[in-house]
Amino acid sequence: MIIEIENLNKSYQNHQALKNISLSIEKGKIFGLLGPNGAGKTSLIRILTRITQADSGVVRFNKELLSEKHMYSMGYLPEERGLYKKMTVKDQLLYFAELKGLSNAIAKEKLKYWIDQFDIKTWLGKKVEELSKGMQQKIQFIATVVHEPDLIILDEPFSGFDPVNAQMLVEQILRLKENGATILFSTHRMDSVELLCDNIALINHSEKVLDGEVNEIRRRFRTNHFEVKYQGAPILEESLFKIISHEEKQGIHKTILQLEGPHKNNEIIQNLLSKNIQLISFGESLPSMEEIFIHAVQQKSGESFNHA
Amino acid sequence: MHKIWLISKREYLTRVKKKSFLVMTLLSPLLIVLFYGIIFYFSFNKDLAEKKKEIIVLDQSQLFVNKLQDTKTISFLYNHDASHDPKAVLNESGIYGVLSIQLQNGIPTFSLLANEQPGLNTLSAIESKLEKVLKDKKMQEKGIDEKILQEIDAVKVNINTLKNTSEGTEDGNSGVTTIIGFLGAFLIYFFIFLYGVQVMKGVIEEKANRIVEVIISSVKPFQLMMGKITGIALVGFTQFVIWVALVTILSGPVSTLVMNLVDASPETVTATMANNQGVQTPDKSLSLFKDLGSLNLPLLLGMFVFYFISGYLFYGALFAAVGSAVDNETDTQQFMMPITLPLVFSIAISQSVINDPNSSLSMWLSMIPFSSPVIMMVRLPFGIPTIEIIASMACMIVGFVATVWFAGRIYRIGILTYGKKPTYKELFKWLFLKN
Repeated sequence: MIIEIENLNKSYQNHQALKNISLSIEKGKIFGLLGPNGAGKTSLIRILTRITQADSGVVRFNKELLSEKHMYSMGYLPEERGLYKKMTVKDQLLYFAELKGLSNAIAKEKLKYWIDQFDIKTWLGKKVEELSKGMQQKIQFIATVVHEPDLIILDEPFSGFDPVNAQMLVEQILRLKENGATILFSTHRMDSVELLCDNIALINHSEKVLDGEVNEIRRRFRTNHFEVKYQGAPILEESLFKIISHEEKQGIHKTILQLEGPHKNNEIIQNLLSKNIQLISFGESLPSMEEIFIHAVQQKSGESFNHA
Repeated sequence: MHKIWLISKREYLTRVKKKSFLVMTLLSPLLIVLFYGIIFYFSFNKDLAEKKKEIIVLDQSQLFVNKLQDTKTISFLYNHDASHDPKAVLNESGIYGVLSIQLQNGIPTFSLLANEQPGLNTLSAIESKLEKVLKDKKMQEKGIDEKILQEIDAVKVNINTLKNTSEGTEDGNSGVTTIIGFLGAFLIYFFIFLYGVQVMKGVIEEKANRIVEVIISSVKPFQLMMGKITGIALVGFTQFVIWVALVTILSGPVSTLVMNLVDASPETVTATMANNQGVQTPDKSLSLFKDLGSLNLPLLLGMFVFYFISGYLFYGALFAAVGSAVDNETDTQQFMMPITLPLVFSIAISQSVINDPNSSLSMWLSMIPFSSPVIMMVRLPFGIPTIEIIASMACMIVGFVATVWFAGRIYRIGILTYGKKPTYKELFKWLFLKN
């Protein structure tokens, strides 16, 4: 575990930002901190980066109490851009690298690699204010990782990126993970990290709603829903399954079934094949992170879960 | 220390590398020299500012014919008979004005007809010329001949002030001391404002752009603040050194020009300066240049640098605290007031400090760090007891250590607090908040 958090509490003047949060982040994994806006994600990150202090609770970094010396092993990409607008890209990157404890020569050396990776050589002499939002984000990302931190904290890293650049960033993140770094992601767009994260924690209204391994969580919240795509007459409900939803587009039907009782997939397929339809695809439809989140929140507040 | 150095290096380089820095640095002394050059030129050479005025004299008394002395700006003409109608003469000749002199019961009365309301300078110039003729006439009537009158006119007084010192006496130099004092005070005032506001803006930029969040994890707030303040101080110092060099080079030709003007027309100067109730007579302003040598320049320069730096640190820290407490520049007004007020007050009060550099008001104002950088600059050229200088410097050092501490406490909280503008009560709480 690179980070262990125990019973963390933090209050601001008139509201509690974090209530008894406990979680741990496994070394070398990608950890997703999910939750809607204002849930307390940024408050938690600010405690990890020692920008603010918790009212109570313990944070450990590599089994040691979090202290100033650990700051050099962290890189933090804030949600809002933190760059000097009037400074050139080159000066800016060098400055941040030196503040993070690199010597001038080493900083230059390491920057060379990243300048190559993101292909920003032609931008080095430009002032930050002349760059697009996505470009600025890249610069900020380089500033975050240039000192090769063990823990990289990314707060909403994809905002402002088009799909091509987002993909580029994903590749870089995966490469950093391969090289042994631990990555903490924070986002309110829950679907965006499903593919990337190994572990997640869901936070809502300052409290942790659930946490664990992504696939395990999704299995835990499976609803026995299956998605069938086919051509022909629409399937009708029967004793084997209920129909949750049905839609048709250009002659192709998409139906979500919910199985009644314990049945094997083969049974359903056999049943479907016996109908007069042309089967295109069949698969279990696991709930999205968003659905899990809604479900978990409702469970937590004691209400029964109604599928929309 | 390494961090502070890194931060101040950035602050320094980003500012010095800007084109506007170069332009401002080169242009400002030119503008200053040009500005003062023009002021000097016009005040010593009034005729350039005013058009030459011709005045026709219609003198019934015949007392003044050909006796009124022309000035640089006014010339008197006597080419019309006194019986003419002034209005007709004015309309027909198209000149500035017609001065008609009439005798009533043997006493001359004067009226000036012009197409515009004549300025005060013009009127008093004409009046003084008329008075001169009448006075001369009275004196001649009492038996004083013209030669003696000329001798009387030539009388001029110029007091040389001497200061009593332990080694004897020393040449006094009120004029120079006043100017040097004001110059030093104004420069310090100007620099504190200019660069103090830059500190504040820099802090607000870092806060508003969330840069603080990125660097605060690897830098202590105090380091960030001190780095910024020292970096900007160095910018100010660089600029100042360049300016001093440039002004020294450029003011040579300008002062020669001024001196030439003064030499060329002592009479005009006397007239215009007298009319303006001028501070200096021309003879004195000539001696200004000579008197420079009699001041203790190394002490003045040393003190200037000390108050320049310490005054800037004192106020710069306060400006940084203000910047950290707010989210944007529009919110700074409320907190700027208590900082700018003592500065403006010191400049405003320096006039009365000059009139009495050793009064107890002057003494106390030069002890209080809020006003001492400005007030001490004004007082120093007049010579003040060493013990007072030391006391003032000690107060200043205590003062800036205190404000840096105070500002640091506010800064560390303020820089990470967004949203509502804090109240003074909250700021006070921040001071004693545990980290």
